[in-house]
Amino acid sequence: MAGAKVATEPRTPSGTGPGGPRTKGMSEKGLGRLFVAPAILLMIGVALFPVIYAFVISLRAYTGRLYEGYAGLENYREALTDDKFWASLEFTLVFTVTSVAAEFVIGLGFALLMNQAFRGRGITRAAILVPWVIPTVIAAQMWYFMFNVNPGSVNALLGLGDFNWLGEAGWVKAVLIFADVWKTAPFVALLLLAGLQTIPTDIYESARVDGANTWQRFWHITLPLLRPAILVALLFRTVEALRVYDLPQVMTRGSFDTESLSMVVQQYVVQTPDPGLGSALSTLTFGIILGIGVIFVSLLGRELTIGRTDG
Amino acid sequence: MRRSKQLGKWVIAVAAGTLVLAAACTPSGDDDDEGSGGGELVWAIGGAEAQPAGVDQKIADLWNEQNPDNPITIEVLPDEADQQREQQVNVLQSGSDEFDVLGTDVIWTGEYSQNGWLESLEDVRDQIEPEVLEGAFNSAQWDGELWAAPFNTNAGFLYYRTDLVDQPPETWDELCQIAEQVGQQEDIGGLIGQGFKYEGFVVNWLEYYWSAGGELYNEDNSEVLFDTDLATQTTEFMQNAMDDGCFAPGFNTATEEEGRAAFQSGKAVFMRNWPYAYQLIQDEGVPQVAKNFDIAPLPTFTGEGTISALGGFNNAVSAYSSNKDAAKEFVVWAATDPEVQKMLATVASVPPVLTSVYDELQNEPDMALLSEVLPDAKPRPPAPTWNTISVEMQDALFPAYNGDADPAEASDTVADAFNESVEE
Repeated sequence: MAGAKVATEPRTPSGTGPGGPRTKGMSEKGLGRLFVAPAILLMIGVALFPVIYAFVISLRAYTGRLYEGYAGLENYREALTDDKFWASLEFTLVFTVTSVAAEFVIGLGFALLMNQAFRGRGITRAAILVPWVIPTVIAAQMWYFMFNVNPGSVNALLGLGDFNWLGEAGWVKAVLIFADVWKTAPFVALLLLAGLQTIPTDIYESARVDGANTWQRFWHITLPLLRPAILVALLFRTVEALRVYDLPQVMTRGSFDTESLSMVVQQYVVQTPDPGLGSALSTLTFGIILGIGVIFVSLLGRELTIGRTDG
Repeated sequence: MRRSKQLGKWVIAVAAGTLVLAAACTPSGDDDDEGSGGGELVWAIGGAEAQPAGVDQKIADLWNEQNPDNPITIEVLPDEADQQREQQVNVLQSGSDEFDVLGTDVIWTGEYSQNGWLESLEDVRDQIEPEVLEGAFNSAQWDGELWAAPFNTNAGFLYYRTDLVDQPPETWDELCQIAEQVGQQEDIGGLIGQGFKYEGFVVNWLEYYWSAGGELYNEDNSEVLFDTDLATQTTEFMQNAMDDGCFAPGFNTATEEEGRAAFQSGKAVFMRNWPYAYQLIQDEGVPQVAKNFDIAPLPTFTGEGTISALGGFNNAVSAYSSNKDAAKEFVVWAATDPEVQKMLATVASVPPVLTSVYDELQNEPDMALLSEVLPDAKPRPPAPTWNTISVEMQDALFPAYNGDADPAEASDTVADAFNESVEE
């Protein structure tokens, strides 16, 4: 942000800003746009085009994979009256709220810990980040293997005999949330740690001089100043959790009501092909995620604007 | 004024950017040869045996020795059947001649043929039909027409511990009785099978349902014969088996490999699995199990005969192939050549389809049992909508047998799925 501001400063030494005298060739701004254009086109090609294309397909009728004609909003009607959609939406929301909340609390704890100066801090940081480096599919396969009765590593470790973690209605969701928290709490910790390190230490010192205790310093200094970082972390995690696919697909295949929205979309697009319905579902999913994302970004935008007017 | 000027700059910038992009994306030369000229064939098949060291590669080498004019190369597809199908479908949907021979799961025949992706093999029917197993042959037909040549087949075995069980049970009730009794004595599980929510569970459920006398369709797949009462009883049997400890712990989260892990480590009295496990348990099992197990036909509810679900792969000729005659020759050869079919059994422990191989290898216990159970093995219907039906069955029957849904309602849902498949 600050860099962009410097570039548009009217009285830069070179005098090529928009306010400056006109020189031959393209202005600095125009040149910048030229360089940015391929990236923007690429973004439109890979990000915007599929969304629009999915919407177009969602208005078509198919039998199997064979195109049958225009369907209007029929696919949306079918999707919204499908129990599977509502069941998966419910699971996805429950999964998102619980896993993101747990990741936030644990991630914040890790971040505060890693922000302290102590011996072995480097090793602690590395150790905490290991789960984040492991690809989700592999982590999911690993936890599936470990929680499964056969061979039963978790049960052997805890001395639980043949406890069926992945085959008992109540426990399946808890195991999925556990696996997700294990995998992504480090990511939250990393983002929050970056935020913590931007808070100047002299604020804490003057607070201490004024007699604020640890809790007061955390509540009145750390949390408010960490707000932008917290919002970014929650935005990333929420959007990602709403799209969850690999964990339940590998660990439960959707058994015991653990089918996520993305799994239902995948089923209709790939497994039991109905591209129209599948695209309608994926457009709905996109809409839900976009809506929640926009709420976060608007909160965040206000935050950043406030931050900028201060600077 | 200022606005339009800015817009103009954007347009110029974007246009220039497009040029850069276009230049970057233009193919640099003629790097893809058409492949249609020289009579070369591409065999799109997946799984462990399609890998460079697998038996499929050896079979391709053998063909290439004998047919230097029409050499075949393997396009290795992913391990999992669903992903193999997806890759083939992508190519076929675009009408590309990239693949000539398609290795197709027995349940894809209907879908592929209905989409017009397969070349009919009616003109070579006489060369194949008398030579191969009936069940495998039927799985290659849809709507009374032959669409593929059988390649390998598969059927379920009952694995049991000879140190714990004197005689393999002949009925499921007898099996459960032994499983509960011996399991309790030894403090181990009873029967392990494929109870996780996936296609394997449908296979296991169908084996119980069929062995109680149930049917899915009539002879030519035009009429649904799904019996909801029998289906409910089947699901209730599984539900009770879960509750009473007839099924080993973890039955409802086990695929083939978790089942094998439980059995070969001595944690189950019985196991339902495919023939591939027979050799592996001898090699990898704990000594107590590796030395003390045997295989038997799967029980039934009536105690008469045996029923198994039929698996396996066929080879089909793509309708878009630019070398159909050679491709046809290849699929017939792979189905009926004694050397090829014997290699499947001896090199890879994959059950062949050629009848004569079973006569030749009858001294191998697994081959002998296969030739006993295969004549009674039933294919899952190779209907165009089989995948949809299978997913509906998983969604309805899995919660029902785990006590989360009513078995009778689940049967109605499945019946609806079958009925819809015929109406379409």
